[in-house]
Amino acid sequence: MPQASCRIGADGLARLMPMHLLLDSDGRVNSIGPTLARVLGDAPVIGALFQDLFEVRSPGGAITAEDVLSRAGHRFRLVPRNGSRVGLRGLGLRVDDKVLLNLTFGIDLIAAVREFALSDADFAATDLAMELLYLAEANAAVTRELRGLNLRLEGARLQAEEEAMTDPLTGLRNRRAADLLLERFCSTRTPFGLLQMDLDYFKKVNDTLGHAAGDFVLEAVGKILREQLRSEDCAARVGGDEFVIIVTNRTEPETLQGIADRIIAKVSQPMDYEGQSCTVSASIGIVRSVDLVNPDSAQLLAAADRALYAAKHAGRSRALLLVDQTS
Amino acid sequence: MPAKLPAETIAGSHMDALLLRSLQGYLRDTFGPTVWQAICRRAALTIETFEPMMRYDRGMADRVAKHAAETLGRPVESVWEDMGTYLVTNPGHEGVRRLLRFGGIGFVDFLHSLEEMPGRARLAMPELELPEVILTEIGPDRFELRCRSKVAGFPRVLVGILTAMADDYGTLCLIEPDGGERISVRILDSRHGAARSFDLAMPER
Repeated sequence: MPQASCRIGADGLARLMPMHLLLDSDGRVNSIGPTLARVLGDAPVIGALFQDLFEVRSPGGAITAEDVLSRAGHRFRLVPRNGSRVGLRGLGLRVDDKVLLNLTFGIDLIAAVREFALSDADFAATDLAMELLYLAEANAAVTRELRGLNLRLEGARLQAEEEAMTDPLTGLRNRRAADLLLERFCSTRTPFGLLQMDLDYFKKVNDTLGHAAGDFVLEAVGKILREQLRSEDCAARVGGDEFVIIVTNRTEPETLQGIADRIIAKVSQPMDYEGQSCTVSASIGIVRSVDLVNPDSAQLLAAADRALYAAKHAGRSRALLLVDQTS
Repeated sequence: MPAKLPAETIAGSHMDALLLRSLQGYLRDTFGPTVWQAICRRAALTIETFEPMMRYDRGMADRVAKHAAETLGRPVESVWEDMGTYLVTNPGHEGVRRLLRFGGIGFVDFLHSLEEMPGRARLAMPELELPEVILTEIGPDRFELRCRSKVAGFPRVLVGILTAMADDYGTLCLIEPDGGERISVRILDSRHGAARSFDLAMPER
């Protein structure tokens, strides 16, 4: 069988395998590739023993290059003893009476490039190092873009959600938001007071001064409600001149009555619309979640509506608390 | 107001998305948001923000570039070229320059690497189809690039990128587009200036 063989000089070896190690029969370094020399740093390498330069991580138990070759079927792993954390992977071969090891950074490539300030010229043209580095950066760029996209979409989603819960005219919450909060409070048994409010004489403003004046009044009422309530409360416009107010964690009758009376007093003050005075008032029906054994938003809203009706009936501009809801 | 995404984002072109996002960045950074808004209005766009990871109608990038050129009173070719240069030289897009510099240690290596560009792009994003570029060596220091793209402006973007990259490598060269898909490159001095440094290690963020 014909055997092909060739001789490669030290320069050729360095170019083909910039991370090679050629050891003599005693395991001492005969020649070293320039890139591997950078990894080992300033220490004198030529003539040094393999086991003084490297710690063998696999195959287990191997110490010398001989051990490595006789135990490793195919590949082995080393770390340099100079304190660098960069791992090396390699392939070894007996050549005449010498041992030729060819090493690579493997997965530690990116760390190695940074630690040893390696450049394109430190890798053989056949090495996929540049492709790997390229891929890592391209991937990082794509991931960054996707993260940015996610943030932007999330921002748009939150804004859309906010808009879907807001009454555009008054800036208060809308019926959907109030319903959701009522359902949540009922299911978590969070105590609350529920105020159902209706403007009095609003139709008159609309009819005599026009819809723009009506809108002005609604906006002013929205402002009053925001000012009179805490951030954890909820004020919603649920119809033309109908409002629902949820007072979180407050069920004392005098507290709820006090809030309602304050709102009515503020709303009842004459408002100035383009030099014209508009006067409205408000009636409020009050119920408490704690008056129901099993709080239910539909029942509570119906009861609040009854309380409101009673308040209107009693002469408007007043708030009425309905306690006995089960009747 | 949140931008309403048009239906064409579902099916459409990634290439148009990348170019639209680049146009947006270049025009807004260079001429200000008011000019960009004017361009969007002129192009009758329903949105003013393009997402690079989305897809848009094929031809949309060329259309927006045309309206940008009309708004600025400049030929559309120069808008595309300047955008290509902006992509490489703008510090906010350092990643683009770095990815291109991985093409080789010198400008000629870089020219050769352009043939690999679609393959490299697919490594990072399998669905991204970058235009095919074919390089022919006509003589010593003379090259011809052919660039086939569905986006009419792409060869001009490449001219802008080539100009900026030649500068990055410190190479003096003459880059002449033929108005179609061919670009001729004549290298006059490959050591004209100092190349900008290129550290293989990814800059830490």
